[in-house]
Amino acid sequence: MIIFFTLVKKEIKRFFKVVIQTVVSPIISSFLYLLVFGVSLGASVKLNSGINYLSFLIPGLMVMGLINNAFQNSSSSVVTSKFSGDLEDVRVAPIPNSYIIWAMGFGGVFRGSLVAIITGIVGSIFHYMQLGELLWVVHPFWLAFFFISGGLIFAFIGIFIAVLAKTFDQLSAFSTFILLPLTYLGGVFISIQNLHPIWQTVSHLNPLFYLINGFRYSMLGQSDVELNLAVIVSLIGVVVTFGMAQFALKKGSFSRW
Amino acid sequence: MKALQVIDVRKTYADKVAGKSVEALKGVSFEIKKGEIFGLLGPNGAGKTTLIASITTLEKPTSGELLVFGDSVMKTPLKTKMNVGVVHQEVINTGFFSVDEILDFQSGYYGIYKNKERCDYLMEKLSLYEHRNKKVKQLSGGMKRRLMIAKALVHTPKLLLLDEPTAGVDVGLRESLWKFVHELKNEGMSILLTTHYLEEAEQMCDGVAIINKGQLLFNGTPKNMISEYSQKKLILIMKSGETKEYLESTQLGIAELLVKYNIDIAEIHDIKIEEGRLEDAFSKMVSL
Repeated sequence: MIIFFTLVKKEIKRFFKVVIQTVVSPIISSFLYLLVFGVSLGASVKLNSGINYLSFLIPGLMVMGLINNAFQNSSSSVVTSKFSGDLEDVRVAPIPNSYIIWAMGFGGVFRGSLVAIITGIVGSIFHYMQLGELLWVVHPFWLAFFFISGGLIFAFIGIFIAVLAKTFDQLSAFSTFILLPLTYLGGVFISIQNLHPIWQTVSHLNPLFYLINGFRYSMLGQSDVELNLAVIVSLIGVVVTFGMAQFALKKGSFSRW
Repeated sequence: MKALQVIDVRKTYADKVAGKSVEALKGVSFEIKKGEIFGLLGPNGAGKTTLIASITTLEKPTSGELLVFGDSVMKTPLKTKMNVGVVHQEVINTGFFSVDEILDFQSGYYGIYKNKERCDYLMEKLSLYEHRNKKVKQLSGGMKRRLMIAKALVHTPKLLLLDEPTAGVDVGLRESLWKFVHELKNEGMSILLTTHYLEEAEQMCDGVAIINKGQLLFNGTPKNMISEYSQKKLILIMKSGETKEYLESTQLGIAELLVKYNIDIAEIHDIKIEEGRLEDAFSKMVSL
């Protein structure tokens, strides 16, 4: 267990060393999203479910902060280690691949959760100022479940992409062409009930849609999907992405860039 | 028990640019005894680093076997890694952490929770203690090299792999590093080193292996290598003032040489002998 906790400690210490970039910067982005979309534009948005748009947006921004930061944490950890040679040190030490994956996974969950919780607190303050009441969590257990599963899935994807990537371009291509569209079309800013039926079908094929809506259900008590389905998709996501990370560590290169 | 056994190790890469496969190691075999300093020598691109990477599992050999204290690197990597410390050729460049933190993490990688005593000892020994709170980017090249050696030793390995540890290092530091390596040997550690400083290898190593283009050319003691592959230079200063030079096998004595070249000893004013060197033997061997 000492090996595992050392890896986790290193992951957490690493992102606290650059706290402006890793924590403060995403919180400022979330603050601006809340201000522009939640407060200013949100006043004119009417959702079919009858939920206030600001209440709808806050869980979406939280989950966006969670998955982006979980992905960034593990992928940047691998990439900087490829530059510095740290990855070689990890490889030559008696560390099973599963320890590396879980440690980076929990590092990602920790950073992602930190950003998401602070986003939630800031959002709740906006909520209070706008609607006169704080936004409380309806199902704390399920919220914790989606925090952990969502963080793990995207931290594992970060390992998979970063270990197999041979250049920065390949890494940023995933963020730009896959992660960003999936996030935006997964229902962070909109309810799919407001979309054309074709786009509703497309959204149902997006795994992030279930995660975002599971998260939203945990916060608000209602969402676009059944809780059971969101839980099953999330668990499958953890298993599949763990397998992808295992594959990458087995087949990928630990050599320096 | 042997510290390291390299048995018919082959490594083939696919060179995608050239569209062909390249044999980096062509059936290399040698072994290192416990407590021995062993030099793995060869020109750039010979396959030395590939072999070290194979021992540390950074590379997977195409075929062959690697045994560390009798355990297979391929079959029981977690066990063999506990016994191995490695100093990579490329210098460490970690940006986030201090020397102290790096050694703490490195200890943790080997399952050692509180290793302050050992880390402090290594920092003292390698003149890093006063720099322990500095980040790596604040260290000089020589300090980074010493930090890499400290990292490799935090778990007190039985086999230390040094891949060109003195590349780009000044003379003073080189001398102190070699002195430290000797101390490690005296403590019972087995050491495999690669270096381009052949004079030092000649002085330090109990055994050497020469590889070139992935092929093992020699495996034995430096003394044997010199006697087999280098020549001694016999310089005769004659009473007439003339100087004569003869290159000959290191195995021949002076009397035999004088007989061979039919030289009258009464005509000789002085005799100088320049003994064969490992460097000469190495140059001859890799150019064959």
